[in-house]
Order: sequence, then structure tokens, then C-alpha cells
Amino acid sequence: MEFRLDFTFRIVMDLIYYAVNIAFFKVLFLHTELIGGWTSEQMMVFVASYLLVDAVNMTVFSTNMWWLPFYINRGELDYYLTRPVSPLFFLSLREFAANSFVNLLVAMGIFIYAIANFSGPWGLANLAGLILLLINGVLIYYCIQMLMIIPVFWTQSARGFVDLFYTVGIAMERPDRIYRGWLRIFFTVIMPFALIASYPSRVFIEGFDREVLLHLTTVSSGLWFVMLGIWKRGLRNYASASS
Amino acid sequence: MNWWRHIAAAELRKILAFRSDFWVTFIGQALVQLLIARALWQSIFAGSEAEVMNGFTLEMMTLYYLIVPIGQKMLTGENVGFLSREIYDGTFSRYLIYPLSFFQYKAITYLTHSAFYGLQLILIFTAYNFFVKTAGFSTLLPGTLLFLMAAFAYMSIAMIVELLSLWAENIWSLMVLVRFFCLFFGGGYLPLTFFPEELQRVLVYTPFPYLVSLPVRTTMGLAPPNEIVHGALVLVAWAIVFYFIAHLIWRRGQYKYNGVGI
Repeated sequence: MEFRLDFTFRIVMDLIYYAVNIAFFKVLFLHTELIGGWTSEQMMVFVASYLLVDAVNMTVFSTNMWWLPFYINRGELDYYLTRPVSPLFFLSLREFAANSFVNLLVAMGIFIYAIANFSGPWGLANLAGLILLLINGVLIYYCIQMLMIIPVFWTQSARGFVDLFYTVGIAMERPDRIYRGWLRIFFTVIMPFALIASYPSRVFIEGFDREVLLHLTTVSSGLWFVMLGIWKRGLRNYASASS
Repeated sequence: MNWWRHIAAAELRKILAFRSDFWVTFIGQALVQLLIARALWQSIFAGSEAEVMNGFTLEMMTLYYLIVPIGQKMLTGENVGFLSREIYDGTFSRYLIYPLSFFQYKAITYLTHSAFYGLQLILIFTAYNFFVKTAGFSTLLPGTLLFLMAAFAYMSIAMIVELLSLWAENIWSLMVLVRFFCLFFGGGYLPLTFFPEELQRVLVYTPFPYLVSLPVRTTMGLAPPNEIVHGALVLVAWAIVFYFIAHLIWRRGQYKYNGVGI
């Protein structure tokens, strides 16, 4: 609570972010009935889903992800490498953002509201599937973010490709059916932002689809192992500042 | 006195120091945002079965989202958090011994970033015209100039918020909040003609539409000359108001600065 004003504004900032995202689609639906094959009500489930993923990420990972490139760049990883736990685990989960936790509660409120107001047919299995796949979405988001940070081991730039991550990250906030051709391959396989919230929402809205689940499992596990492999290579390339 | 030229040259060297970062960000922002926006609007146009929506065809919408990300860069530059960080860690003290006011210094460095992104805008607009040929060149210069004026106005707004860190120390989130407002209500996320009419009428009395929407529409050739002149005057008026407020805050706040490390 050292910076009380900043703490308060961080909460307000995320609330405005939620409001802007909801308003964006509400305004668009003033002019069309369907976007990416979804109605306004279905879109609300999707928007609530990616806001929830974002809130979890902001609470659990974001502060740690912010500092990681600086630790690598300044050669300050030594402390974490000598601990008797996995450095990746330690560095990723070390700090918890208390202010974002307040927003996580709000995001959960929006999620519950969107589900409660969804008039289409759904059962508990669909809801459980959605929640499970959103947890998987959080991990996908984390993996992609790490893949943008790890190049710092080689580029020496203090930010890596993090800015690019935030730019391309908008892809998560759009329904996957708007992507066609190679753009679809890019966002569902190479940088699978579309799998974070859009695919899980499809499982809730349209029911279980074996192809969707197979795609999610394959790409998620592949992404995890690629990230781990590159992280290990990066660590081998790490030059400490003190030893 | 050519001091402003030296400051601008030093700032340019800084911008070009991390070239890979610079080009990745540039291509990422311009190209990826454009592709995502085009995919979304293709879907919306297909869903509504209309050729023109609120004065925009799909091609015009594509051009809009080509200009917006670079325009945003011109507005906000690389300098979010530029004063608060220096006040917090005490490096702000150097401006006290510079032979020019820190307001002048910051304005030059800020506008150098904006002008550089202005060159990117000219480059990418020219390339787009070469391949697609949907917009003329005659509107590029007034559009770029309006973006520079908008950048000055935005810098003044940013300075007001940044100077609050003389009292509050950490105002990063407030800065992001201001950016959200300026971009959303300025037409950075979607053209203002898509907003409900009541909201559009209210927004005219705020600086937001003049920061993003007007420069973009001018560059695209959608704003008539009288609207451009009127908008430029309004933009100047807002910039003066914000700059004056920033000065007032500085006059009161400078005594709060405790100069860490002096």
C-alpha cells in the first residue's frame, strides 16, 4: 500500500479496460446482427471469457513477466538459478498482484453475468468444459508471453518482443471465425491467441466438438514443450553479471 | 540558437539505437493490427450485407486502421511515464541546470518522436497508395501536420498527469487510463461515426475527436477544408489550455520535488 493512489487507479484502469471492451462490441452490434458467426449474447460470453483470462494473467503472472526481461538483461538471474526450485516456476509466480485480484473478482462477476444471461441451451458439462479450457487458455497466454520474453537472452534489449506481444495480443480479443487462410493458421497454430478464449467459448456456446478439443490439446502441449525447450536454450546462453 | 536541433538529433540517435526493436514494433503494429482489424470488419460487412457502413467501405476501413496505429504512435510516442519516472528516481534534477526550461526540452524530445513516426506514416501511406490507390496524396501533408498538433496537445495532457507524480509519486496507471479515454473516445478503436449520435454530439465538446479521428479523416481525405481549419483551431485552443494548466501545476509542484540523490 506504499502507492495508494496508484493502487486505486490500477483498479479503475482495469475496470475501464473491461468497460471499453464491452462497449466496443456493444457499439458494433448496433450496426450488425452477427460478428464471426456470434450474436451479441454469444459474444458477451466470449468477451467475459477473455476478460477473465486477462484478469488471471494480470493477478498471477503480469508483474513477474514485467520484471523478467530486466533480470535477464542486467544479469540478475543468479539468485533465482541457485534456489532449490525450478527457476521458471519461481520467476513466473514469485509476485502476486493484489490490486489485480480486486479486478479478478470483477471479471468473475462479468463472467457469471454473461453465463446467467445466455439464453441458449447449455449444461453443467459445457460450463465445466469452458472453465477448464479457459485455465488452458491462461497457460497458452503465459507460454506465448514467455516466447516473446525469452529472446532477451540473445537480443540484449531490455524489452525483447514484449511490445509486439501486446500488439498481436489483440487477436485474443476477436472471435476466431473472423480469421481466414494463413491468418487463421497463424492465430490458431503458430501464435495461438485464438485458442485462449474463442475456442473455449465455442465449446460452451456450440457444444463439445472432438476436432476443437484435439486441436486445443495438440497445440497447447506443443506450445508448452517449445517454450520449455527455448527457455532451457536461453538459460544456457545467459551471462551472469556477478559470476 | 540551434540548441533545439542538437536535442532533436540526440533524440533521433536514441530512437535508432535499438533498430531491431524499432522495426519489429513498427511492422508488428502497422501490419498485424491492420490484418486483425480487416478480418474483423470483413466479418462485420459480411454480417450486415452492406457495401457502405456509416460512410465507410471495407477499403476505407482498411486504410483507417492502417493510419490509426501509426497515428497513435505519433500521439503517445515512446514517452509514457517520461516525467514521473524521472521525478521518482531523482534524474529530474538535471533539468534544473539545463540552459532551457524542462518544458521546452520535453516538448522537443516528445515532438521528435512524433515527427519520426510521422515519417513512418508518410512511408506506409505512400506504399499503400502505390499498391491499392484508394487515397490521394494531397491530404497526406495536412493530415500529418494535424497529427503533430494533436501530439502537442496530447503531450500537454500527459504532462498534467505526469506532474501529479510530484504529489503522488507513481501515476503510471492514471497515464494508461488517460490513454484509454483519448483513444476510445477519439476514434482509435473504431470510427466515431459508429458511436450513438447523442454521444457523438457530446464528444464534439471534448478534445478527443480532434486527437485521433480528425487527423485520420483528414489524411484519408474525408474531412472537408472548413472542418480541417476549424478542427486545427480547436486543437490549438485545447493544446494552449492544457499547456497552461501543466505550467500552473508545475509552478505549485516544483517545491514538492525533493531531488533524490542531490
